Amino acid sequence: MEINPANPLDTQTPPPGLVNLFRVEDVLNLARANSLWPLTFGLACCAIELMAGGASRFDLDRFGAGVFRPSPRQADLMIVAGTISRKMVPCIKTLYDQMPSPKYVIALGGCATGGGPFKYPGQYGILEGMDKIIPVNVYIPGCPPRPEALIAGILELQKQILSGKTQGKMSPAVMHDSQDNRPAEYKNAISRVEFRRPPALPTPPVSPTPSQG
Amino acid sequence: MTLGPFWQEVVKIVLWGTFAVLFVSVNALFLVWMERRVSAKIQLRRGPIHVGPQGLLQTIADAVKLISKELVFPSQVDKLVYYVAPLLVFAPVLSAFIILPLGPGIILRDLNIGFLLIFSLTNISFIGIFIAGWSSNNKYALLGSMRAVAQNISYEIPLLLSTMGVVMIAGSMKMTEIVTAQSGLWFVLTQPLAFLIFFCASLAEANRAPFDIPEAESELVAGFHTEYSGMRFALFFLGEYTAIFISSAIAATLFLGGWHGPFLESLPAVAGPFWLILKTYALVFVVMWVRWTFPRLRSDQLMAFAWKILIPFALLNVLSTALVLSLCK
Amino acid sequence: MAAILEKDIKAWLLEVVKADELNKKDVKKTGIHFEAIVPTSKIRDVAKEFLNQGYFLESLTAVDFAECFEAVYHFNHWKELRRGCVKILVTKEENKAPSISSIYKSANWFEREIYDMFGITFIDHPNLKRILLPESSTIHPLLKSFKGEPAGSDVEQCLKLINEDKEGFEILYPQSVTHHQKDYYLNLGPQHPSTHGVLRILLHLAGERVLDGEPILGYSHRHHEKMMEIQSYLACWPNMGRLDYVGAMSYNFAYAILIEKAMGIAPASPRVEYIRVLTTELNRITSHLLWMGTFLLDLGAFTPFFYGFDDREKILDILEMATGERLTYDYFRFGGLDKDIPAEMIPAIKEFIPHFKKRLKDYDALITKNIIFKKRTRNLGYLTKENALAYGVTGPCLRATGVPMDLRRHEPYSIYPELDFEIVTATDGDAYSRYLVRMKEIEESLKIIQQVIEKMPEGATILGKLPKNVPKGEYYTAVEAARGSFGMYLVSDGTLNPYRLKLRTPSFSNLNSIIEILPGCLVSDVVAVLGSIDIVLPEIDR
Repeated sequence: MEINPANPLDTQTPPPGLVNLFRVEDVLNLARANSLWPLTFGLACCAIELMAGGASRFDLDRFGAGVFRPSPRQADLMIVAGTISRKMVPCIKTLYDQMPSPKYVIALGGCATGGGPFKYPGQYGILEGMDKIIPVNVYIPGCPPRPEALIAGILELQKQILSGKTQGKMSPAVMHDSQDNRPAEYKNAISRVEFRRPPALPTPPVSPTPSQG
Repeated sequence: MTLGPFWQEVVKIVLWGTFAVLFVSVNALFLVWMERRVSAKIQLRRGPIHVGPQGLLQTIADAVKLISKELVFPSQVDKLVYYVAPLLVFAPVLSAFIILPLGPGIILRDLNIGFLLIFSLTNISFIGIFIAGWSSNNKYALLGSMRAVAQNISYEIPLLLSTMGVVMIAGSMKMTEIVTAQSGLWFVLTQPLAFLIFFCASLAEANRAPFDIPEAESELVAGFHTEYSGMRFALFFLGEYTAIFISSAIAATLFLGGWHGPFLESLPAVAGPFWLILKTYALVFVVMWVRWTFPRLRSDQLMAFAWKILIPFALLNVLSTALVLSLCK
Repeated sequence: MAAILEKDIKAWLLEVVKADELNKKDVKKTGIHFEAIVPTSKIRDVAKEFLNQGYFLESLTAVDFAECFEAVYHFNHWKELRRGCVKILVTKEENKAPSISSIYKSANWFEREIYDMFGITFIDHPNLKRILLPESSTIHPLLKSFKGEPAGSDVEQCLKLINEDKEGFEILYPQSVTHHQKDYYLNLGPQHPSTHGVLRILLHLAGERVLDGEPILGYSHRHHEKMMEIQSYLACWPNMGRLDYVGAMSYNFAYAILIEKAMGIAPASPRVEYIRVLTTELNRITSHLLWMGTFLLDLGAFTPFFYGFDDREKILDILEMATGERLTYDYFRFGGLDKDIPAEMIPAIKEFIPHFKKRLKDYDALITKNIIFKKRTRNLGYLTKENALAYGVTGPCLRATGVPMDLRRHEPYSIYPELDFEIVTATDGDAYSRYLVRMKEIEESLKIIQQVIEKMPEGATILGKLPKNVPKGEYYTAVEAARGSFGMYLVSDGTLNPYRLKLRTPSFSNLNSIIEILPGCLVSDVVAVLGSIDIVLPEIDR
């Protein structure tokens, strides 16, 4: 695996050019598209929809993509299903590096695409989208996306492989926001004494003065 | 121009060798497809149906993809051993074609030791499994290969003991004589216990569920072949499916009458292989059926099953067969 | 009975401990019987006394006020609802509190979480290090002074973590000549087919036997609690659906009850209660079916997973008719529901039930009576009653040890008092008993569903007028989720957002008990035990 100095995070090796004939590459792409072996890699809620996609009603095995391999060395498709917490990122990067080329990445769900419902101003725990660290081929939005959407994503990936355009996309990382424009909902701590003071009793209604005479 | 006897032998060996390699490849492709469709049927789904008619070309797509994968060489593995291990696992299973009788007279070498040769040679493939895990520099692979060694040693004994009854009745270890001895009554009817023990032990020798602890997917990530990718992984896969086929073929020959069949005896060259293949694939189907039904045994329970149940019953079978034979004489 | 013992504890707290404050609280509104504020040095004696009286530590958390921190201890009893709240004040300069982890084993992880989130150190804690955030992290996020990380910090921090990981990576040969040792460490996870998410267990092995196992959490931390502090109450509904996504209805239920109790409103009509119970019990069945499939997948049986998912899909179709969602439900609202159930839902359920009962018999034949399954799970992962209570285990894991604590009877809510169902218990605390308890619970849920369908009244499902804000105060609610008792502790300052919302999730305590079970198991048993406890990672890491 060679390191590309222009983008050191890109570990996609082009397959060795045995014969650089257009036709052989076509046949190889046809085989690769029809025999995608996913890595068993569920992070959060979308993992359940991934499992449902492999189960009997939606059956990914029909498209050849049903052989889930637990070892990254034997898988060629990494379906990142779920929210990516910052603690998990080194593991994901290691797994991606361990996969032999050609390898593909599908970002399943809103969280893997761009942070999802857990992205709020000032968030401290997640990575907003898998494409900030590794190149992603197909994005499947949804929270969680239905298994039909997953099948559509795999078919889209097959189309990409057949056309030969499998270089994934990486989103430009946002630089540090030096301005503190985090919202006002971040409250300051309230006083405990004030908090525990019992609420004031409602003032009794003023009785009307009896009218004279 | 007639060839001398030496050159005739050479041609015969080359033809058989070619046939064996071709057969093994096509057979493995078919078996993988069969496994995926059988498991799909049991699991209420369809399985591969889009790639080629009925999904038959699916395994070819898998094979081509695996060939075109990058061959990863992890940096800290024992290089020579890591490279040799998949070859050691796959090559010996081809040896079974030397003594397999496909029909009356259709056999490469009718050796005196018969199936004993196969079991000795397939142990080399276990050495391959062991060194695959050892050289990988991966704790999961090491655990998987240790379990494989313990499993192989334990199940070799009941495997051979169960065939002793057959040998005693047939009077020889030659495969052709064993098949001829079954022309009246198949040995599965006179030696039912031996058949069951042989079946269980051959499942264990082939690392199939419920005895698949060396590659227990849910426990050891991928067991002894965790660090193998691409074509090397394909060789392990090929070796496993061929081993299933070989042990089913030997079980069919030893217990189910070999190439004997109810009709078509008038065309022995066609009928013999046809019946043998049919019986073999029936047993292969049962093997696959068992895999998708039962959970996995734990490693100590597996050893206990071999040593405390299979071996005593196999010995009992041998003793009772000897007793019955001496009484009948 | 509860009143007498409470009086004892309350009297003891006033006299012996000289509690600074003791207030009686309305259990129907706030969820606790009394609240006591004790001097910081006396908390260990208080904990010992509660332990002697048979209470277990339900939840331990902290709240950040301007003058000081409040460490809040909730104790409860398994026989009946006797929840009491004990607080100590931790000054900001000192930032230390005594640890009760030697008395209550469950406090170990709770205190580590408080250290992680607030920075309060606990004296005499055996292992005070971060639990949810990475080890090298420097922030304490739940402090009110922490106003979040700047945009773009996610990539920067992740690259830093990747580099740290590379530097800490050591390569060892397994057969190295110079380095003979009998024991070694093996990482199970975070990416592993059987850890049900991203859990990492650091196993200390000798051969294949486990000497010690340490769960390492935080790989799925999604900052629910901080997020909910800056969102309005209504915007917190999606969070409830994504905590335990498999059994999300119970979490909706807890939040709805909490805010309704706090606001002092009742559901729009009895129909709301019936629909809530119906959807919750259907969700409980799907949760148990998913658990069963994945548990058997861990043991190596591939087929029950597909059958379980097949049944689960049928129930998901039914729930989708009402809610529109398959997985992460947020169907409940304060005082009612999002929308009424459609007319075709009840006939669909009626059609589904006989088919499912036949399937349950299939599961019985395929799994429960399977000799290999029994050999793998009998006498495995034995959890004693004392250990279960010490770690705060709740739900089917606790009931499998023989303790009949089910919050639907223990702390009744909604219409459960009117329904006829049993609390399912078993006597051995092993993996097989936990399996039996959950399968029987599926049948009990079916019973409840049948009763609910028959008695379902008509009525409105949306409450028109809601009070503007949740009144100031502290509230605690707990419901019986599929995995155990899910509790929520709300500190509301009367404004639009919660001040502090602590989620006491069942899997956090259930996983804690694995520390007792693992030593002595084989590697195959580790996955079986982990599967039998039934955890969902995002609700542990929140």
